[in-house]
Amino acid sequence: MSSIISGLNIKNIFEYDPLLAYDKFDIIDYQLITGISVYPSYTGLGNTGLCSWFNNDNLEDFKTDGNFNITGWKNKVINSGDLLQFSEDDNVRPNVQFNEPYITLKNLELLSGTGFEHTKRTIFLAVNSSEPNKPKTDNQKIIKFGPLDSPNGSLQISGKNSYFDAQLILDSTPFNAKSPIYNAINIFTLIQNDSPSPTLKIRQNGLQIGQIVPNAQWNSSYFEIGNNPGNNGINYYDLFYFSGVLSETEIDYYEKYLFEKYFSYFDGLFFAKQDVPAGEQYSPIFFEGEDYWTKNINDIFKFNYGSSVNFAAKLSPLNMGDGYKTNIVNGINTLTATFNLVYDGLTDKQAKCLIAFFENTPEAPDKSLYEGFQGVSTNLFAPYKTNAELYFKSINHNSSYNNINKITIEAESLYDSAIDHKGMFVVLDEKNIKTYESVVSSILTNDVFYFESDNFFNRGYYFYTGLNLNASNGSSGPSGPSTNNKITILPENSPTGVNSFFTKNFYFKGDLEYDINENIRLFSTEMKNSTIEYSKDGINYNNLEFKVSFKKRTNQETKSILKFLDDKAGFKIFYYTLPQPYNKLISVYCPEWDHTYNFYDNNDISVKFIEFKAPSEPVAYFNTDIQFLS
Amino acid sequence: MSNFLSYQNIDFRFGDQNYYASSVSLSAQASVDAVLLNDGSLLNYAPNGAVVGGLSVDFYLTGSLPSFLQITGLNESPIDVSFAGVKINQVYSKSLSFSVEPFQPIIISAEFDWYGNVLLEDFNEQSKSTLQNKLIPDYIANGYKSFITTSDIEGVGFIVSFDYNMSCDRPAYFNVDEVVPFRVAKLNKTSELSIKSNSLGKILSIDGKSAITNITLKDTYGISLDLFKVSGVLTNQNYEISEGQYLLASAKITQTIPETKTLI
Repeated sequence: MSSIISGLNIKNIFEYDPLLAYDKFDIIDYQLITGISVYPSYTGLGNTGLCSWFNNDNLEDFKTDGNFNITGWKNKVINSGDLLQFSEDDNVRPNVQFNEPYITLKNLELLSGTGFEHTKRTIFLAVNSSEPNKPKTDNQKIIKFGPLDSPNGSLQISGKNSYFDAQLILDSTPFNAKSPIYNAINIFTLIQNDSPSPTLKIRQNGLQIGQIVPNAQWNSSYFEIGNNPGNNGINYYDLFYFSGVLSETEIDYYEKYLFEKYFSYFDGLFFAKQDVPAGEQYSPIFFEGEDYWTKNINDIFKFNYGSSVNFAAKLSPLNMGDGYKTNIVNGINTLTATFNLVYDGLTDKQAKCLIAFFENTPEAPDKSLYEGFQGVSTNLFAPYKTNAELYFKSINHNSSYNNINKITIEAESLYDSAIDHKGMFVVLDEKNIKTYESVVSSILTNDVFYFESDNFFNRGYYFYTGLNLNASNGSSGPSGPSTNNKITILPENSPTGVNSFFTKNFYFKGDLEYDINENIRLFSTEMKNSTIEYSKDGINYNNLEFKVSFKKRTNQETKSILKFLDDKAGFKIFYYTLPQPYNKLISVYCPEWDHTYNFYDNNDISVKFIEFKAPSEPVAYFNTDIQFLS
Repeated sequence: MSNFLSYQNIDFRFGDQNYYASSVSLSAQASVDAVLLNDGSLLNYAPNGAVVGGLSVDFYLTGSLPSFLQITGLNESPIDVSFAGVKINQVYSKSLSFSVEPFQPIIISAEFDWYGNVLLEDFNEQSKSTLQNKLIPDYIANGYKSFITTSDIEGVGFIVSFDYNMSCDRPAYFNVDEVVPFRVAKLNKTSELSIKSNSLGKILSIDGKSAITNITLKDTYGISLDLFKVSGVLTNQNYEISEGQYLLASAKITQTIPETKTLI
């Protein structure tokens, strides 16, 4: 049982058992193999026969030149041969990877050695291969015995990274790989035996793939890794072998050691996205298992209506008196979004699955050696990102009736940069928000376009109002196909045209019902034994701070409003016309807003506007002529 | 085709099974709100939820009830229905009732919710050949031989008629961007029995009066078609006396149907 279970408040989660069938939404603790893991050099079980062991645990595992090119990979087993590189050519010497648990041998880079002859042995390898440049023709060697290119005793990989195409090749005999062979760590176990007749078996991630009568080169003293010309190479994590043929149980111990050390993604909880038949080939690590098991919440749950989000800008206002201020932006990630993700109508089994997922999120692998754990890659509801990284922070579970559950997860997004011109949360995806072109296949009121321009003031997002804004009669814009089922927008009607149908301004109208409160900023003087005396606090003493609501808006208008606010990033200034009876155009910024997706074409948005008393466009420039007289 | 469709018989089907319906009612309801802007103008009418369809059908009981009409059971699955040329995919049962009176045929009334699209243009008259080839049912439940037994109710006399109803709420759950639910659950499952009798015994106490009843529906020849059980509490007693009539007492027995959770 994995230690991660200690972080769960959910009972009855067991290690994966390939002999069992599972139902959709079942949860397993995947461990590759049930049972213990054993360190290769552990001798508590008796003499293991460990002959060679290479990995990248310590810098002293390598001999290097002055440029940290590897000239030798030291064998951890004393008095056993190292893997060496005698050539002075930098092209064949691999580099030490200081921050990774592996070394990469790419292109012509290779390490080799002698003294590795055995007729019986069990080899364990943990490797991750990059995709070859020519998957149809390039075979990449993982290991090779024998000094010649042909014949040799080798394990190679070939083909595309899909089931029935990815192949493991022992000598010249191909076998279908059961797990992805590229861009994924694999444990390859080779069991070489010479009695009663020579055999060589291969296991991939604990599952036997095939068996051959091995080439005699497998008994050779010469051993080589790498040397795959023209390819990006193979990451070697761990390589060790024992003399003799180990028992099935011992093999399981050492495979599990590799699994626990290097398979951080696969180690832990998986969730069934459909009913799973019994059989080892359906375990998560294999091609067939990918159709049944997932760690991706988007594969098994969708959000329900009622999901909402709050955006808030982290600003440090600098007040300068007389109602003037400037907003200091705290770094490039000014805007944080807190989502309330609603999953309603869940059965008890679904609720168990989702709660376990939530509770297990801190077990995600770290983003890097220097950062915390990865957030949850989330396909948010429209119009937000489909690949947002969220941190699940709290959960509310409500059970209103037997087998009916509502779960609301509060999740925070931290890493979306405000300097990404393509958008933070409401992104330019060339489908919903497009780069502006003068010929479009359709155009609707509130469509959003990104307008490219060398001119800073013209560049940015524009909103199609459906009206000719500058025409005295407010005539409508183009509404139907003109030629070839396309609509042509004339230059004068373009975003920067003299009769533009587009705007960069906040043109959305709030609800009929609204509240506006005003607080006069006063300066008070309290005299002892007398009344308080009020004075006006300079000029601009009636700066407004108010909310505007946009209830029950269509998805189209909602996307447009949210894109506008997203583009302003919580601190940029824009104009807003106050409603009746004020009717005044003021400068505001919007540091906070909420959005709730009630139903299809029914969205509530509430925005907080703060009046900004300063010119929204620069009117003063540094234009002083300084003369140095002496 | 004439402007008005006429039906001599209603071909009503649950799945692939014919039922002898005396009436069918189909409805659809949208919930919208006007969106008014701060300049006084009307923006549009916004939907508050999905179009919820209603379907009610009265049919003769010609055999035991199909499992999908066990309203208070665990099965939440929808069933396809069709009548008069129109097919509705996925209707969700929410109530079933019937009345048993002496010598009267027993008509089952069932109500359903449905979501999604229905091709109303498919409404069609029944063809003459279909009408002529319609099979006559072997059994029709009738009050003549049907009966109710009561136990644990003190003092109930001769029951002259009774009404049975079982129902539940069917909340619908929607994924974002969808207007057809991914689940229509069942909750608040209850069954009710109203009886009319010449006497009901003592007046009920603050916690009602415990009652266990069994209803047996039979055809006129005594063939048993279905059984219903209400094991609940009698919460209501009425006595009516009018000039020239017998004293008639009525009572209502209500049962809340629980579901014991299965440990997972």
